[in-house]
Amino acid sequence: MEKNESQYSGGRRYKNKDITVYWKPSACIHASYCYRELLEVFDPSKRPWVDMEGSSTERIIEVVNLCPTEALAWKWIDETKNESVGSDQLNHIKFRRPELMNTEENDSNNEPVSVKIMPDGPIVLKGSFTISYNGNKKEVRDSMVSICRCGVSDHMPFCDGQHRKAGFIG
Amino acid sequence: MEENNEKKSKVIVEVIEFGPLKITGNFLIKDLQRNKEESPGEVRLCRCGKSANKPYCDESCKK
Repeated sequence: MEKNESQYSGGRRYKNKDITVYWKPSACIHASYCYRELLEVFDPSKRPWVDMEGSSTERIIEVVNLCPTEALAWKWIDETKNESVGSDQLNHIKFRRPELMNTEENDSNNEPVSVKIMPDGPIVLKGSFTISYNGNKKEVRDSMVSICRCGVSDHMPFCDGQHRKAGFIG
Repeated sequence: MEENNEKKSKVIVEVIEFGPLKITGNFLIKDLQRNKEESPGEVRLCRCGKSANKPYCDESCKK
């Protein structure tokens, strides 16, 4: 996954150094303002379809504000600036998707990762974290990974269910 | 400053070769067997099955 794209329960987020753009696919009515005005940023033929480095922050805000639905919304990364945003900024999340105003706190990146020690079973990690193993380094986002605790897995370091057969207690 | 905050909360999971699972950062560990819950900030969990102090590593893997 591209580093400037992330998923949350209400859709996707794209960031540059100044702003976060929120994309809620289910709300899109394909009015097409975004890509007709700014294909350098909003290109439906690309994956991810939003490239936050494709234009200036000012221009991205301008075009997000053209979206007639709540499919596209934006906010400043600097939270103090969000408070003073005026109603001329039509698609600021304050007006379009107020439920997102305090979501940075609920951002999976800030939520503690859950580490569960399963009885006689593996370690189950859930959330967003970096994992390194066998010389690989991977970014896990909002997902689960199961690590072997019994020492007999054939897919180390991951659990393959063999702890049962092995009669692992612990 | 933003970068510092990110570093603080960022969770790093390191599978140490022939050793334990090292976890650092903002995580909550729940031991369902022993009914314990804590946020130690850093932990080393046994992966070999031989630790006498499960779920933690006691370096039995080195023996």
